[in-house]
Amino acid sequence: MKSMRKIKKRMNATEKTSQITKAMEMVSASKLKKAERAIKSFRPLTEKLSMVLSRVLESDRELSHPILEAREVYKTVYILVASDRGLAGPFNNKVFKAFDQHIQKEHENKEEYEVVALGFKAFDFAKRKGHTLLHDNIIPMRDDVQFIDFQNIADRFIQGYLSGKFDKIVVFYNHFVNTLTQEVKHQTLIPLEDNPFLENKEEEEATYRSIYYYEPSASNVLNQLLPMYAVHVLYGMILESKASEHASRMTAMKNATENAEELLKDLNLFYNRARQNAITIELTDIIGGAEAVK
Amino acid sequence: MHLIVVTPEGELYNETVDYVVVSSKSLGEFAILDDHAPVISAIDVGYLKLVKGKEQIFTVVINGALEHRDNVVHVLAQEAHVGLNKESAMEHLNAVRKERLEENRRRTMDFLKAERELKKNIKEAEASKR
Repeated sequence: MKSMRKIKKRMNATEKTSQITKAMEMVSASKLKKAERAIKSFRPLTEKLSMVLSRVLESDRELSHPILEAREVYKTVYILVASDRGLAGPFNNKVFKAFDQHIQKEHENKEEYEVVALGFKAFDFAKRKGHTLLHDNIIPMRDDVQFIDFQNIADRFIQGYLSGKFDKIVVFYNHFVNTLTQEVKHQTLIPLEDNPFLENKEEEEATYRSIYYYEPSASNVLNQLLPMYAVHVLYGMILESKASEHASRMTAMKNATENAEELLKDLNLFYNRARQNAITIELTDIIGGAEAVK
Repeated sequence: MHLIVVTPEGELYNETVDYVVVSSKSLGEFAILDDHAPVISAIDVGYLKLVKGKEQIFTVVINGALEHRDNVVHVLAQEAHVGLNKESAMEHLNAVRKERLEENRRRTMDFLKAERELKKNIKEAEASKR
């Protein structure tokens, strides 16, 4: 049996850890609320933007743009949306696992794709596995993520797509279903598959179709807005991934706190037993000593 | 006419103005007055001049879309910042962006350090043993 001092030390450590996990759980809970709010306030913007785009595209059916047209795929860019910090249960690993499986199924060698890693964990993973990264620096995924954090890299892969260097851009991220469930999804960011903008044509909208005029021209507006839309969609995915991260961490920390409490109970038992043992030994010593004196 | 500027963080500006001048780096300038024809435009880097009586307010916009219809101007911007003149607004926005990138870099270092420490502590607590 371990000494009392050792057990006590471990009990203290466990106690402290459980305090930390408890605090982390509560922090994650409040961050989750914030992330959900961010998703909510962001959604109208995307809707409005896609509405504007559909107006432009409906005005002239001849209009087209490379982002709207799928082409034969030689080189793919994969964007992994993970987190900066661990201790979030299976959150990061789920993304990496799904990515690994996808790679094994779709690609024969590493020349066929490049990786964009968003978040420390994704960067670590890509480095460890030896994937070709599109960027050298770590791109942090802060809780208050902003466009500027990933603007550089977004410009890079969009330019790469437009210049024909890449033919497809796919995002792997955690889709937020609810607090208990998050599932990994992979979605093609560019090209925009089966043109989402032409679907929502209502009769009432038809009257507006022709009366807009474009400054300076419809195709120019399209050139500007389509990449912006793609970045918006990516941002939406990042926000969802953020919400998933907090939800996942919250659940993981809740489990950790419960486990620590259970462990503490066991340790307490051990400690009492060790203490009793020490008392018994002391007593036997004293009695033995007294007997010897007689 | 009514002007609404929306950013990912929410509504930045929602007020009635006399007219709006839209200026963008690649397109040049144009003004939208009352009863202007419906128009859609894009702004890469530019600014909006909002004129209301004698007041002039500038809003710097990065990556934005503009739609005008029935005397309501919607501006959707990735980033926008309000200022009293375009130089100061632009400067401020640039400063904020630069600071943000700088902070990101600093946090990267801090994060790595903190994470190492945390891992050490977990090991010391012998959390994996029962």
